[in-house]
Amino acid sequence: MAAIAIGLLPMIFTDSYWQTNLIVCAINVLLAIGLDFVLGYAGQLNLGQSAFYGIGAYASTLLITQLGVPFWVAFVCGVLLAGVAGMLLSIFAVRLRGHYLAIASLGFAVITYQVLLNWISLTQGPLGIYAIAPPPPLAIPGMPAIAFSNLGNLFYLTAGFALLTYMLLDQLVRSPVGETLTAIREDEVSAASLGINCPKWKVFAFGISSAVAGAAGCFYASFVGTLVPDAFFITESFSILAMVIVGGMGTLIGPVLGAILLTVLPELLRSIGDLRLIVYGVSVTLVVLFMPGGMVQAARLVAERLRRRVAATPAKAKP
Amino acid sequence: MTTAASARMESRAPGAGDDILFRAEGLQKNFGGVQAVSDISLSIPAGVVFAVIGPNGAGKSTLLNLMSGLYQPDAGSMAFAGVDLIGMPAQRRVRYGLARTFQKIRLFKQLSVLENVIAGFHTHHDIPLWQYVFHGAAFRRDHGRCHAEAIDLLAFVGLKHRAQVTASALAYGEQRMLEIARALATAPRLLMVDEPAAGLNAAEVEALLGRIAELRGRGMTVVVVEHNMDLVMKIADRILVMDYGQYLFEGVPAEVQADSGVIAAYLGGELQ
Amino acid sequence: MLTVILQQGINGIVVGSLYVLVALGLTLIYGVLVQINFAHADFVTLGAFAAYFITHLLSGNYFAGIAVALVVGGVLGWLLNATIFAPLRERGNELLPLIATIGVSIMLQNAMLVLLGPIPYAFDTPYSNHVIRFAGLFFTVQSMLIIVMSTITIGILYAFMKFTFLGKALRAVSQDRETAGLMGINPNYVIMLTFVIASALAGMSGALLGPVLVLTPFAGTSVIVKAFAIVIIGGFGNVEGTIIAGLIVGLIESYTTQFLDPGLIDIVVFALLLLTLAVRPTGLIAERREENV
Repeated sequence: MAAIAIGLLPMIFTDSYWQTNLIVCAINVLLAIGLDFVLGYAGQLNLGQSAFYGIGAYASTLLITQLGVPFWVAFVCGVLLAGVAGMLLSIFAVRLRGHYLAIASLGFAVITYQVLLNWISLTQGPLGIYAIAPPPPLAIPGMPAIAFSNLGNLFYLTAGFALLTYMLLDQLVRSPVGETLTAIREDEVSAASLGINCPKWKVFAFGISSAVAGAAGCFYASFVGTLVPDAFFITESFSILAMVIVGGMGTLIGPVLGAILLTVLPELLRSIGDLRLIVYGVSVTLVVLFMPGGMVQAARLVAERLRRRVAATPAKAKP
Repeated sequence: MTTAASARMESRAPGAGDDILFRAEGLQKNFGGVQAVSDISLSIPAGVVFAVIGPNGAGKSTLLNLMSGLYQPDAGSMAFAGVDLIGMPAQRRVRYGLARTFQKIRLFKQLSVLENVIAGFHTHHDIPLWQYVFHGAAFRRDHGRCHAEAIDLLAFVGLKHRAQVTASALAYGEQRMLEIARALATAPRLLMVDEPAAGLNAAEVEALLGRIAELRGRGMTVVVVEHNMDLVMKIADRILVMDYGQYLFEGVPAEVQADSGVIAAYLGGELQ
Repeated sequence: MLTVILQQGINGIVVGSLYVLVALGLTLIYGVLVQINFAHADFVTLGAFAAYFITHLLSGNYFAGIAVALVVGGVLGWLLNATIFAPLRERGNELLPLIATIGVSIMLQNAMLVLLGPIPYAFDTPYSNHVIRFAGLFFTVQSMLIIVMSTITIGILYAFMKFTFLGKALRAVSQDRETAGLMGINPNYVIMLTFVIASALAGMSGALLGPVLVLTPFAGTSVIVKAFAIVIIGGFGNVEGTIIAGLIVGLIESYTTQFLDPGLIDIVVFALLLLTLAVRPTGLIAERREENV
């Protein structure tokens, strides 16, 4: 069903402005579901997603531009590197309670940003890396090659990948792996009393989550064409967090909705451009206080109320 | 309990009676200058109900935490079915057949009753790695089996009708039984229950004693930590009495009741 | 060479004592509530701006500015506790209040950005340009002021915690909330008080920091990340540890600036932080605590 929606969208929004936004949407969806896996399911507040996003972007780009590595190989490398970085961070922080982990991950994000900014010989620092090419055209026998310089096609690629990742994560979460992660989230001590090796699973969740962020980074680089460290400042981590919280953490579909809403809404209300982040802040606070389950919880409440009204109507209709 | 689950449990029990299942010697545990457990030794035969009693602060829960692996002892040795436990983390011990419940109830509050029990099957899944993502036949079989066994465990503790309820919505007594069901899902050879009767009314305590007796009948070894002497007299085969972290007495219930040291320790307490 | 080392040593202590003031607020809150207030940074920034407005726009006395900043901080702390921490305490979720404070922090920072703009404000006090020379070393009176005021404040706080009833109540609540409640202490009141004190400290440090740092809406953020590091290195909830750790970080900062590269400060501090977390998560200076089951 989602595939159909994805298929139709670029045909509806044919102007490049909106197509750009759709691609950004798809990238944000990837980032959001990645964070939800480790935050909503494993209960680990990972504020370092901006770092893994950046590692994926820079690693793949540098491999392509400096070493001439083919796009998809660089993509895989970027994802793996981000995943390994996530696992290393997690190993450091593995015995820590939620707050320590939040700060350690934030610290890691700060360090990564500083490295990207200051290691000029590698990353060109604030000047950035220019003229990054989009993914190479895909040649399918019997059809003309699909060029990804076309924004519509690039959208299909990113959104398709996001959909695929969503389905994989969804299957994982509906398996005993999901049960294990939620057990860790709820109570680590009793999870251990059931045989669950909490450190190992936390590292696993972190690895998956950071790998997904790395993938988003690879797509981002090839889409945006110019790579600067500022795109990976720690506020990015907070934006992703906002998308997950507002959508409804721990539901996987919630963050998808949250990402779409928080990407599209500021564009619709373009006059408030600068206030975009204030909106994020306000919405996170309000959601946490009044509707911690986010949009998913709100939708369920609405559905519940509708169901009750529908059930009540026949009685009322009787004379 | 399904035949499959009972068979799993029985096949791991060496047979009630003479074999010593759990052996500990000279256990010590300090907390910032307080000797919580001081030179405690015990031998638990398989298939019995072994109780650890003593007044509040006697170090019983600390002993349980040492046995289950939540704490590591400062000195002493421990072995379970011949396997050395010193240095082994808590979650590894579960794979050898040690399970426990907690004094302060630690359920997965946001999960349903059924989901809580299913979480206990963690060490017993039979699914090839790739099927965790692509749910194939083995996945479905395992899923169905876990579901069925979980329902059976819930029936055993009298919670089958509450399977879909969120754990936090259960009454206190029900929550205790759920913790036991969840621990049983790990198919243990030795189950440790920490102050299981705390906060239960008389009827619930009777039900609890019944379940423990039933478990013993099926060959499981149960270690009960309690400070309620009455309860322990009804169910225990052997009793270890502790006071101030130290060994006070060990024996069968009749011996314990008659010992003057025990009576002195409980003076003004619950001893009838 | 010796002069340079001493000079940077002094700079380090100046900066360090400011970090200590900020970090103390965080550690106090963590002590009683086992929660982190991510918006603490923005209280610092708001304190700085409040003092700025009093001194520059209203031509007031700098000390009045500091006092106002203190009050502003206290009020904000009270508000935050009343609207977020108190209502969420019932839910018993560890992460939600933290996330809520992240939301508040984002809100405050960007509201300031919109209202005040990203261009740094020049916060000059009558003291910041007054330089003293002593044995080949330079101080501004401002830095002397910072050291003096920080020391006095830390001293007062320390005495308060050790000797007054409220201070002891605070320590009681941080060690065991339930028992403190049973002993006739109202934990909610104590928690509220802690928030007010901690946030007032933040506001005051902002007022002292304003002339020293680059004053933008993000001024607090640059400090807070190090303040977190200090709190962890010193041990959450451990006042003495925080003081020592704060001074150490201040010294690290000034020596790194002198002998390495200013851009590396964050990296060095965080490397130390991650090292602490790897080796001794409860803090290099704090004791080990076992969790009660």
